[in-house]
Amino acid sequence: MGGKPACTLGEVKNRADLIIYWGGNPAECHPRHFTKYTLTPKGKFTPNGRKDRTMVLVDIRETPSARAADIFLQIRPGRDFEVLTALRAIIKDQPVDPERVAQTGLTLDQLRDLAGRMKRARFGVMFFGMGLTMTRGKYMNSSAILTLAAELNAFTKFIAMPMRGHGNVTGADTVLRWTTGYPFGVCFNRGYPRYNPGEFSTIDLLVRGDVDAVLVVGADPAATMPQPAIEHLKRVPTIVLDPKVSTTMRIARVGILTAATGISAGGTVYRMDEVPIPLRPALRSPYPTDEEVLRRIRQTLAARTDE
Amino acid sequence: MGRAMLRIQGGKVYDPVHGLDGVRRDVCVADGRIVADVSGGRVIDATGMVVLPGGVDIHTHIAGAAINFAREMIPEDHRRAVALTRTPVRRAGIGGVTPSTFATGYMYASMGWTTIFEAAVPVLTAKHTHEELRDTPIVDKGCYLLIGNNEIVMDLLEAEDYERARHVVAWLVWAAKAYGLKAVNPGGVAAWKWGQNVKGLFEPVPGYQRVTPARLIAALAQIAEDLSLPHPLHLHCNQLGLPGNFATTLETMKLLEGRRAHLAHLQFHAYGGEDWSTFRSEAPRIAEYLNDHPNLTADAGAILFGDTVTVTADGPWQYLLYQLTGHKWGNMDIENETGCGIVPYAYRERSLVNAVQWAVGLELLLLVQDPWRIFLTTDHPNGGAFWRYPEIIRLLMDADYRRERLKALSPKVLKRIVLPDIDREYTLSEIVIITSAGPARALGLSQKGHLGVGADADIVIYDEHPDPGRMFGRPRYVIKAGEVVVEDGEIQKTVSGREFIVRPAYDETIEAFLQPLFEHYYTVSFANYPVELERIHSAEVYSWEEAVRQ
Ligand SMILES: [Zn+2]
Repeated sequence: MGGKPACTLGEVKNRADLIIYWGGNPAECHPRHFTKYTLTPKGKFTPNGRKDRTMVLVDIRETPSARAADIFLQIRPGRDFEVLTALRAIIKDQPVDPERVAQTGLTLDQLRDLAGRMKRARFGVMFFGMGLTMTRGKYMNSSAILTLAAELNAFTKFIAMPMRGHGNVTGADTVLRWTTGYPFGVCFNRGYPRYNPGEFSTIDLLVRGDVDAVLVVGADPAATMPQPAIEHLKRVPTIVLDPKVSTTMRIARVGILTAATGISAGGTVYRMDEVPIPLRPALRSPYPTDEEVLRRIRQTLAARTDE
Repeated sequence: MGRAMLRIQGGKVYDPVHGLDGVRRDVCVADGRIVADVSGGRVIDATGMVVLPGGVDIHTHIAGAAINFAREMIPEDHRRAVALTRTPVRRAGIGGVTPSTFATGYMYASMGWTTIFEAAVPVLTAKHTHEELRDTPIVDKGCYLLIGNNEIVMDLLEAEDYERARHVVAWLVWAAKAYGLKAVNPGGVAAWKWGQNVKGLFEPVPGYQRVTPARLIAALAQIAEDLSLPHPLHLHCNQLGLPGNFATTLETMKLLEGRRAHLAHLQFHAYGGEDWSTFRSEAPRIAEYLNDHPNLTADAGAILFGDTVTVTADGPWQYLLYQLTGHKWGNMDIENETGCGIVPYAYRERSLVNAVQWAVGLELLLLVQDPWRIFLTTDHPNGGAFWRYPEIIRLLMDADYRRERLKALSPKVLKRIVLPDIDREYTLSEIVIITSAGPARALGLSQKGHLGVGADADIVIYDEHPDPGRMFGRPRYVIKAGEVVVEDGEIQKTVSGREFIVRPAYDETIEAFLQPLFEHYYTVSFANYPVELERIHSAEVYSWEEAVRQ
C-alpha cells in the first residue's frame, strides 16, 4: 500500500482549512509559503484567509514557525514513525499502545485531538520537510505520512506533499524523468539510462572515485558534500558553471562564470508542486547563459568526433 | 525546399479516402508532400509490399505532468522495459508502458504511426506538456485542453452566461496552445476536490445549483461547434469503469443529439451488471446507438492482458481503483481546472472483469459498422501500451485467432460477452480507416490519413505477411514528411515533427474579466499563465478563419 496524494498549491490556498507542517521550518526556509499559498491568502473557499484555517506544527524543537501555528506538537527526535503509525490506528478506531505513545513525547489525548481534526477537516494538507525525510528511518517516515494522508481520504479530502529544496531541483527531476524515466542517479555508461540511487548518485560516485571528469552546473557540492567526495573533485578535471565564484569553482580545474538564471538568464523553473513558471530576466549579463556554454561545449565535442 | 524526391514503386496501395484498395501504383513524394509524379530521386522498390498512409493516434497519454507522474510511480516497470541504446541517429531512452519522450517518438514511428494526440492537458501545466512534446521526435502532434471541470467556466454556466463562457474557453485553448477540447467526467473531477463525485447526469455538481454534468456536456459540445474547432468535443463520459455505466453513456449520447462529439475510450463506458460480480458487456447496445447516430465518433480504448499503469484526470475513479487494487495511488489536483490520478494495474485473463473488458473493446470495434467512426486506441497506457496495437489488429483481422484466444477464458465469461458470436474480420482497408484515415478526418486534418496529391508524405510500407500482427509490428519503411525515418523496423534518421495548434476567435476584452478572478483563484501570475508561442518548435497554427473553411 502506498499513496502520493498531492495537489498544486492553489488548491491549498483555495480550500485547505487544516494545514500541518511536519519536520520543517517554513517561516525560515520557505518564507513565502505562509503568505502566498497556505495560511494568510484569501482563496475561493477560504474567504477569511487565516481565520478559516488551523495550522499545526509537528517538530522536535520549537522553531520560529511555531509562532505561526495554532497548535505546536513537540515530539522526541526519531519518533515520527511511531506518531504517524499511532495516528493511522486512531483514525481507523484501532487500539494503540499507550506506552509506545508515551515514548513519542506526546500524549494520547494530543494524538486523538489531532486525528479528530484531521477527520473533521474539509480539506487537510500535510507538508513534510527534511526533519522527517532526513532522519532515522527516512524512507519509512515518508511512506508512513503519505499512507496516512491516503487513508484519510476515506473520511475527507487529504493531501501530503514534501517541501522540496531550493533552486530548480524539481525542474531537474522533472526533465530527467521525461528523458530517462528516472528522477536522479541515472547512469548512461551502457548507452541507455539505468537508475540506482546509492550506486549512481553523485556522492557515491565521487566517494568511490568512479568518475574521471565532473561537470557541475548551478550547484555547489564542495560546500555540502563529505570530504572524500570533495577530494575526488580536486583529483579529476572538474568544470564548474556558476554565476558566482563558488566553493566548488575554487577547487575546480575550469570555472566559467555564467549569467544568473532568473536575473539575467531566462528559462523555466518547476515549483515544488511541479507547476512550471517561466523566468523573465530583468537584467543583461556580460556572461553567457549556462545553456549557451553547454551548447558550445557540445558543438565543439561533436566537431572533434567528426574529425 | 530541395528535400529529396522519392518514388515508391510496385507496392499495393491502400488509400481508402481515394477508394484505392490494394491497387498497384507508384506513390511519389517531393518537398515533404505527395505529388503526382517525380523525375529522379530515390526509388523504393515496394514489390510484395503494401503502402499505407501513416497511423494517426487520436487519443494517447505521452507528454506532460500526468504521464511524468506515472513514470515516477513505476520504476519497477522501467527495469524490465526495452532499453533504447544511443546510436548516431537516436538518443537513449527506455520503453515500457510509459516510454521516455524520445523513445515514444521512435517507438510510434517504428510501428508506422506518424501523428499522435496527447489527450489531457491542463493550462496550468501546459508548458510542461509542450516541452515533452518537443522532446518527442519524428511524429506530428497536438493536444486537447481539459475543460470539463474548469471552475471559471462552471461558474459562468452557473450564472447562465454562456456567451462569456465561450470566450473564456476560446481564450484558454489558445493559452494552452491546444488543438481541441477535452472533458473528463464532467463535474465529477471538480467534486473530487472535496473528495466527492457526481451522481448521474442530472444532479447538480456539489457546490452548484444549476450546473449538472448534462448541462456541462451540452454547453461544451456547443462551444466546440460555435468556435468551429476542427475536432468536436472529446468526451470522457461520467462513470468510467463502473458496472452498469452503459446507461450513463447512452444518456450522454442522447444529450449530444444534433451536435458532434467524440467519445473517448468507449470500452471503459460499455458495461452492464449491477456490481462487480454481475459485470457484463453492453457493447451491442452502445454500438447500435452509435451506428444510428452519425454525429458521433469514438475510439475503442481496448485493453490487452498484462501489466500497465492507469493515468487519467478522473481523480475520483482512480481513488476507487486504488481501493479495489490496494496497491499504489498517485493523485494530483490542479487548481481550478482538473485532477489527475495514477494507479498501476494488471489486466488478467483469469479475472472475470478484465476478461469482459478485453472482449468489450473488440466487440465495439467489430460491432460498430462504419469504420470511419470508431478508431483504434488503447487509451495508452490505460488499456495497454500503444506499441501493442499490432496485437489488436491481428485480433480484428483473424476470427480464427480470436476463437483460439476465447478458449482461454472461463465459461462464466463467455455468457457475459458476445464476442464468440461475431464472425466479422477487418479488411486491410478497414484497418487503414480505423488507424489513419478515420482519426485524421475526425481531427479535421485534411493533409493526413491519405495518399492523395498534396497530402503530407507520411507513408508506411509493410512486407505483406499472412499474420497481420507480425506485419504491423515491423514496417519495412516509414516515411515522415518525405524523409525515410525507418527501414526494417529500425530508426534511420530523426526528424522533428510539427505541433498543431488552434487559435479560436475570442473577444480580447475577456482578459480584463479573467485577470482579477485569476489573481484571486490562482497562485501564478496572469502573465505567466499562457504558454508562449515561442516555446513551441514548428508550431502550425490553425487560425479561426482557416478552421471555419474546413
Ligand atoms: Zn485517456
